[in-house]
Amino acid sequence: MRLRLHRRPPAAPPALLCRWDLDKTYLRSEFDTLRQLWRTARERGEDKVEVPGVAELMKAIKAAAERRGCLLLVYFISASPPQIGQAIRDKLALDGVPYDGIAFKDQLRNLRRGKLGSLREHVGFKLVELLRGRLAAPAQARELLFGDDWESDALTYSLYADVLAGHLRSPRLKALLGRIGVDAEIAPEILALAERAAGLDAVDRILINLERRTPPAAFQRFGRRVVPTFNYFQTALVLGAGGWLEAEDVARVAGDMVARSGYTARRLENSLGDALRRGLLAPDVADALTAPLRAAGLLPLPSAARRGWLVRLRARLRARLRRRRGRATARPGPLDYDAILEHRRPGRGAAAGAGRLR
Amino acid sequence: MPTIAVDAMGGDHAPDEVVKGVAQVSLATDIEVLLVGDERRIQEVLEGVPYDPEHIQVLHCSDAIGMAEVAHEALRNRRDASLVVGVRAVADGRADALVSAGNTGAAVLSCARHFRLLPGIRRAALASVYPRRTARPEQDRFALLLDVGATVRCDADELVQFGLMGSAYARRISKVPSPAVGLLNMGAESHKGGEVLAEAHRRLARQPGLHFVGNIEGNELVGARADVIVCEGLLGNVALKLIEGIAEAFEEVTRAAAERRLAWRVGLTLLSRGMDRLRELTDYARYGGSPILGFEHLLIKCHGRSSAAAIANAVKVAAKAVRDRVPAEVADAIAAVQ
Repeated sequence: MRLRLHRRPPAAPPALLCRWDLDKTYLRSEFDTLRQLWRTARERGEDKVEVPGVAELMKAIKAAAERRGCLLLVYFISASPPQIGQAIRDKLALDGVPYDGIAFKDQLRNLRRGKLGSLREHVGFKLVELLRGRLAAPAQARELLFGDDWESDALTYSLYADVLAGHLRSPRLKALLGRIGVDAEIAPEILALAERAAGLDAVDRILINLERRTPPAAFQRFGRRVVPTFNYFQTALVLGAGGWLEAEDVARVAGDMVARSGYTARRLENSLGDALRRGLLAPDVADALTAPLRAAGLLPLPSAARRGWLVRLRARLRARLRRRRGRATARPGPLDYDAILEHRRPGRGAAAGAGRLR
Repeated sequence: MPTIAVDAMGGDHAPDEVVKGVAQVSLATDIEVLLVGDERRIQEVLEGVPYDPEHIQVLHCSDAIGMAEVAHEALRNRRDASLVVGVRAVADGRADALVSAGNTGAAVLSCARHFRLLPGIRRAALASVYPRRTARPEQDRFALLLDVGATVRCDADELVQFGLMGSAYARRISKVPSPAVGLLNMGAESHKGGEVLAEAHRRLARQPGLHFVGNIEGNELVGARADVIVCEGLLGNVALKLIEGIAEAFEEVTRAAAERRLAWRVGLTLLSRGMDRLRELTDYARYGGSPILGFEHLLIKCHGRSSAAAIANAVKVAAKAVRDRVPAEVADAIAAVQ
């Protein structure tokens, strides 16, 4: 008699759903003035410029997901009108960026209906697209959300994450949407979608590209799920620390920034130092992630004199990270959206894009 | 791009204003800044303001020298103070120059201990930049007074060297091809002021390549006649503090007048644009800091009460001085007359 072992095949990791904002997150769009807006609208795909390292980061996330046997889905959600869609698709094709769909905001329709307020208010539009995308995605999919500090991405993404996690139910969400100024015609759709989508705390990280250099402290109210980063090397480090990327992927992003965007080893090292001081990753994790970078000369090798100093620095940072984690776990629960909305700043010139609604 | 070390813990408003100044520089220029001080406090300030981390390094140290501490005692007891660590970072080649708004005596003494004097230089001088009247459009709005405190008494040799150093600095930083050098004295005549000043006058007048304009009296300090004014440290320090004191007294008198009578308040309101202009001229934040000259490396000393804007300007001045090779220019000027 032969004994047959029935082994359960290893469970496939849940799908990874990455949603990206487009302008200022992927593209270096300039539309501070009407002239820039007009120029941006007329740009062709080859004229558009991406934020340093972003295309390589997207490819690295894809490669890392494939190595883990994980299904990766990538979507862009842009408040730009669909009329510039072809140029965007051309640009993404030129960059070789893998993606599964783009949603644009039909601004012309808003204009025709005389809804001028809706032209600048994107929270409602983005929430609808996020929730629709969620309902179409595999049920257990985990999510990474990428935005910037120009629009109210941190707020929109946090609302979405809390809806999924079941922290924001209809009456509260309705009140918040009203306070934000979401179009009254869209709000019922958001509430209906939210009811259907709630159930899984699926958003692991909300990564905010500090394109306007908004002070990181402005994002503290959004909790530890929101991670503001100054460049895509820092983003890659955060994703490496979270297990979405490996050291080789981080090196790939850094190498691209050096080769194509004029980054130096010193600028990368300074970015790493800032990430460590802000507690975005632990020193030992940083060591492991940056070893290939140092070997390749993309980060400076510490001199003998600096090694001792670095050891002391890491000890201090480890201690501080422990303290920060202690503080973070001491304040669990949903975000204080009243405080977040109270601190939003009106006007384009305001520094705190974190809470500014557009 | 040069790397400028900045003493984050030095000054009356440190580390807040210092770190904010560095944050401003990081957004506006490509200057690499090495912030020296308590890393936790530095990071707390940084995270509350816009900054660009790609241009900022932080060198942690646990101690700081107070503004009122006795310099030699502070240096003996506080080896891990931000000022000392910053000076050492420059001496070791990790940075090209240092900016500090901290204890002036400790800054000068620390430089003397860790930096080498340039060949031929007998004593370093602390220079000060201050606003003055101009007579020609090409004249710099600021004059350079040295020494204002690195020395107390000086001999004629040292005063001549101060003239050469100040002239070299003004050539590079103010872009004045042939700066007018004056000797601060109690009268215009060459024999005035005693033996040392008379000898210094004779020798300055004989220096080839030096545009010596003779003695400068106190009332000409803020005038257009000299771009560089030479004096011993005791006299320079008194003169500098007098200029600052007059500016502050003017502000106070104006404020008091405005509070006393409505008519005066109306008059002052009408004059407000002119007074703002005057305030701009006497605002030390606009020129940032002053160099300690004579060493192989530069230290830009800022006012103790420096604001973020003053620190930012001082960092830019330091970077400019490094780029324009000011120490080498000073060394060449001294070597030429040896």
